[in-house]
Amino acid sequence: MIGAVTGAQVDRAFARRTEPTRALGQDAEAVGRTCYDMAVRFHRGGRLLCFGNGSAAADAAHIVVEFVHPVIMGKRALPAISLANDAVAMSGIARCAGVENSFAAQLRLLAEVDDIALGISADGQCANVVRALEAARDAGLLTVALVGGDGGQIARIPRLDHVLVARSDDPRVVKEIHVTAYHVLWELVHVFFEQPGVLAPRVLG
Amino acid sequence: MTEFESLYPFLYSGVTDVDAVLAQVTRSTTEKTEEITRLRADVLELYRDQLIECADAMAQRFTVGGRLFTFGNGGSSTDAQAVAELFSNPGPDAKPLPAAALTTDVAVLTALANDVSFDVVFARPLAANGRAGDIAVGLSTSGGSENVLRGFAEATRRGMLTIGLAGYDGGKMAEAGTIDHLFVMPSASVHRIQEAQTTTYHVLWELTQLALME
Repeated sequence: MIGAVTGAQVDRAFARRTEPTRALGQDAEAVGRTCYDMAVRFHRGGRLLCFGNGSAAADAAHIVVEFVHPVIMGKRALPAISLANDAVAMSGIARCAGVENSFAAQLRLLAEVDDIALGISADGQCANVVRALEAARDAGLLTVALVGGDGGQIARIPRLDHVLVARSDDPRVVKEIHVTAYHVLWELVHVFFEQPGVLAPRVLG
Repeated sequence: MTEFESLYPFLYSGVTDVDAVLAQVTRSTTEKTEEITRLRADVLELYRDQLIECADAMAQRFTVGGRLFTFGNGGSSTDAQAVAELFSNPGPDAKPLPAAALTTDVAVLTALANDVSFDVVFARPLAANGRAGDIAVGLSTSGGSENVLRGFAEATRRGMLTIGLAGYDGGKMAEAGTIDHLFVMPSASVHRIQEAQTTTYHVLWELTQLALME
């Protein structure tokens, strides 16, 4: 027997998005500063390395396609790779070194000092995202995390460069805030990137 | 002046002060969050009743053994995978339901693209695996992806429930006649369309779970 869902339940589901979205708007300056630092890294020749689990692995792939194949005509392709796409690599590392190393092991081999590490975790508790961000920080990469809830373990990692927290405990709502956040990250990186006068002084410094 | 230029005039005015640029990108970010909130409200008004009907139809299919297949290109391929993941691995408080994305098997994708055409990469796996009673969810921001349209045509031939997520005016998906429940995000921004589609499939999942619980 299929029960009757009510219009009020649909309204409540949509309403749950409103406050967290407004909160992202309030964090706009932090988003802008993240984009500026990412643009500096791209300007130096760095690449974007993305990772996450489950739905966040889909986000990692989505971010990569935004940067590599821009939807807006005339925007240049920027180098980006997802560490979460390859089931052969993921299961191979998980079997030999444990799931918690599935991203850190790839990152240690691939990463160069000018790169950007972008980890995504709805509750901030993914051990393999934590390890990869720590490895990236120790290797001198720019570290960026998209998390939700109270930020979990990831928000407590010392000396990460940028941790953007979606203000919701619902992992679906967190993902939606993240999608808007990374669409904005892509767009604003290009804004900074196309303004070399802004990037040049720090690059030389 | 292009839309991009009007959003970020400093790009073309020789301003090189980081703080001035930051002030403008901060304002632009806030505007985008307001834009997606308005778009979600529009989608709710347009589709409140149809979301309920669609969730009931999905729940009915799952109750009698139906399985969910999802497909899309590019960013929409990642949404297809997120939909399959949400239904099949929803966490401890929800009922797991059989679902698979057609975009994950690189061997099948490249074999079909190489031997036949990229237009058949979703239709062919649906022909091989789909049964009457199953569910097909296809996503396309433009509504015009040929392989997604062919996927829907094949799913319809097999008697599957077909659900489409599109943007702009729905494109060819709105004219195809092969989609039982079509949700068109009324926006001209690919990014906002994708964000509203994400909300739509999350809400559809939630309502399907509610329908199954009753």
